[in-house]
Amino acid sequence: METSRRELMKLGLAAGATFSMPAMLRAQTQELRTVRMVMGDLQVFDPFFTTSDITQYHGLAIYDTLFGLDSNLVAQPQMVDKWTVSEDQRIYTFELRDSLSWHDGTPVTAADCVASLRRWGEVDPAGQLLLERAAEISSKDEKTFVIGFKEPFGLVIDLLANAAGRPLFIMREQDAKRPATEQVTANIGSGPFKFNASLAKPGSSVTYDRNENYVPRHEPASEFSGGKVVNVDRVIWDNISDPQTAVAALQASEVDFLLQPPADLYPAIEADPDLELQALGKSGSAFYARINFLQKPFNNVKARQALLHLVDQEAFLQVVSPDPKYGGTVTSLFGSRTAYSNDENTGWYKKGGNPEKAKLLFEEAGYAGEKVLILTPTDWSEGNNASQFLAASLQKIGVNAELAPMTWSELSARRENKGPVEDGGWSIFVTNQSDFSLGNPIGSIFFLANGEKAWYGWPKSDEFEALRAKWADVGTTEQRKELAREMQRVWWDFVGAVFLCRALSPSARRKELTDLISTQGEYRPMWNMKKV
Amino acid sequence: MEYEEGVKALVTYILRRTMSAIAVMAMVGAFVFLLLRLAPGDPAAILAGRAATTEMIAGIRQQLGLNDPLPIQFMRWVWDMLGGDFGNSIFAGRPVLELIAQRLEPTVSLSLLTMTLSVTVGVSFGVLAAWRAGGLIDRTLTAISALGYSVPVFVIGYFLIYFFAIQARWLPVQGYKLIADGLGPWFMHLILPTLALSLGFVAFIARVTRASTLEVLTEDYMRTAAAKGASPYAMVVHHALKNAGVPILTVIGISFAYMIGGVVLTETVFNIPGIGRLVVDAINNRDYPIIQSVLILTSGLYVLINLTVDLAYTLIDPRIRY
Repeated sequence: METSRRELMKLGLAAGATFSMPAMLRAQTQELRTVRMVMGDLQVFDPFFTTSDITQYHGLAIYDTLFGLDSNLVAQPQMVDKWTVSEDQRIYTFELRDSLSWHDGTPVTAADCVASLRRWGEVDPAGQLLLERAAEISSKDEKTFVIGFKEPFGLVIDLLANAAGRPLFIMREQDAKRPATEQVTANIGSGPFKFNASLAKPGSSVTYDRNENYVPRHEPASEFSGGKVVNVDRVIWDNISDPQTAVAALQASEVDFLLQPPADLYPAIEADPDLELQALGKSGSAFYARINFLQKPFNNVKARQALLHLVDQEAFLQVVSPDPKYGGTVTSLFGSRTAYSNDENTGWYKKGGNPEKAKLLFEEAGYAGEKVLILTPTDWSEGNNASQFLAASLQKIGVNAELAPMTWSELSARRENKGPVEDGGWSIFVTNQSDFSLGNPIGSIFFLANGEKAWYGWPKSDEFEALRAKWADVGTTEQRKELAREMQRVWWDFVGAVFLCRALSPSARRKELTDLISTQGEYRPMWNMKKV
Repeated sequence: MEYEEGVKALVTYILRRTMSAIAVMAMVGAFVFLLLRLAPGDPAAILAGRAATTEMIAGIRQQLGLNDPLPIQFMRWVWDMLGGDFGNSIFAGRPVLELIAQRLEPTVSLSLLTMTLSVTVGVSFGVLAAWRAGGLIDRTLTAISALGYSVPVFVIGYFLIYFFAIQARWLPVQGYKLIADGLGPWFMHLILPTLALSLGFVAFIARVTRASTLEVLTEDYMRTAAAKGASPYAMVVHHALKNAGVPILTVIGISFAYMIGGVVLTETVFNIPGIGRLVVDAINNRDYPIIQSVLILTSGLYVLINLTVDLAYTLIDPRIRY
């Protein structure tokens, strides 16, 4: 048999084509129901061990919760089938629903829930409060457990449904018995996704497979509650550290979802007909300045009040999130969109951007040119921009403000120093947290105002702390709203921290990826999404 | 007799260099250990997350043994390392050597492809430019070399991604496929990173090759070879290139060492999970065991490359003796 030169050429071309392009095409066909997401670098797998957001996303994927908040912020049963409370409001009894099982096939028991509650209570403020008030937490049988309280306690279900800070993820008893300062080593939960350990590449990618044994609730999905139906077979989180490369990968259809593209690349994403920006966190993040209460000049309340007058939130928004549709202002201590948001005691500074008044207050505070050192995280662009803008605003009114550029890890270590600036201390650092989490004065360390025991900046107000302590014992939402107003009045008098703006961080996705769950908070669940 | 003495001298030389390599690695280890501990930043704070409290961070520090005095931490690390245990990653919780092994294939693949391309193209360009010195080819190649030498790797990387991956869709933007997954996908994923990383080295090697070859081409023996009717190929390859080989080899050795820095950038731009990315992430997270181990092993590799280059001189120039 003779082979012509033309046939040989055809053969060569076919071989070349087989060698190159089809590899990708074949992969796409095989992985039709695989979603690739760029979520960040998942390094810590234990959601009780760290407050890192990405670890909480991981927790949402593989673990389940007793209760979940719906889109109206009402707690709905999730793993729990039925629950009752005694007439004196002291004994809560919970019964787990049928068909709950761990990824290793063993059934979920009440003992697992009890151990998880105790571990959660070691580290999360909401859990700590629950344990503090509880007289008894015990399992009655395989499916029933009880929490008994010393006094009537009305906040129980809200605390158990906590979706800010660390949600109460239910772990296997043997995992939950580890101290919370030691990481759980097995990634075995009872949630809608199973962690695929064999495909995990630390620092590079992690893989989740649909848990085929998971039985979703019958109700439609609503934020963290309802049926957690998984419509894809596999989800891979790729860690692409370079944001430009990540956007390019999205454009080239190598990934389907980018959690947080940088703001300067929004125009490129919006210009691509196959991509869409979508703010999945409805309320966004509140950016704020933590102020060192222990050192000059901010140990004087007038200097702190000066900051409130100085900060023009709309101007800050320009440097944090240049597109105004992805942000706004936040003046209520309880965030801009929570049940407790209010306008109490905000009238006097509300507009901000009043440098003359700020200057006057610094003078009244006896400011004598002390250095105001702003710890500036250079590896977090929004925080970096906001810090620089704050320094420039202070310098304009004659304050000796200086930036101390450093990475976030350096900042984390430096902020521990309570001493004066000259001894390695600090005056201000900028950070953020979900606006939604501000609706929970018990679950968020932001609200602590007990001096040196409080979070960094160590704000102190006995009056505020006394009011905060009442929160857990207030019976109704209306009463809590009233208490929120009182707390806010005190807060803005002593100025525990200063809000800079509220920014939404839209995610970018390919249009084939639909039905992603939007939530009030910043945690991103993966159930419900579809890949067309 | 003379041969035996030569072998003995060579073995002594290798032993001496190996001992000095161990000393260099020990010094690098001590220096890196101290530098990391003295630099600001705390792995416990990063592990605990942005909203962590002082108590949480203190608990993690205690658990990781970071509160122990520095000499104790150092001795513990050295002792474990002498037993072959390079420690566990603070974040991944897995043995450092296992993590390094996982990342070795992408980095070795990228480095070898880059060196192959750089040496082949760089030496060819250099020789061609020297042979036609002052002509159009020489000037064109010199201009290309200057460009390759001065444009940063990441700029070339983004440029290549834009044209070949996003616009043309011929090649993947990012990522890496293991050789075990097929040579085709492996090669496709390495084309752009290799091109981006090679350009600078091609320029470097081409410039040195041109200069060395040009010098040799003016020697008397080259005129003699030409007078005897040697072909241009024989003149360049057998006479000029061999005699210009020592500086070219030196440059190739240096390029290998410099490539370690280039690989870090290239792996970041093209999202290749290699040693470079491992180190960058470890530095950002203050994952001490990974940083220390990679730097020690890299310094060992650096010394090994230098030793190999030194020994290779004897093959090119028999006059060189150790």
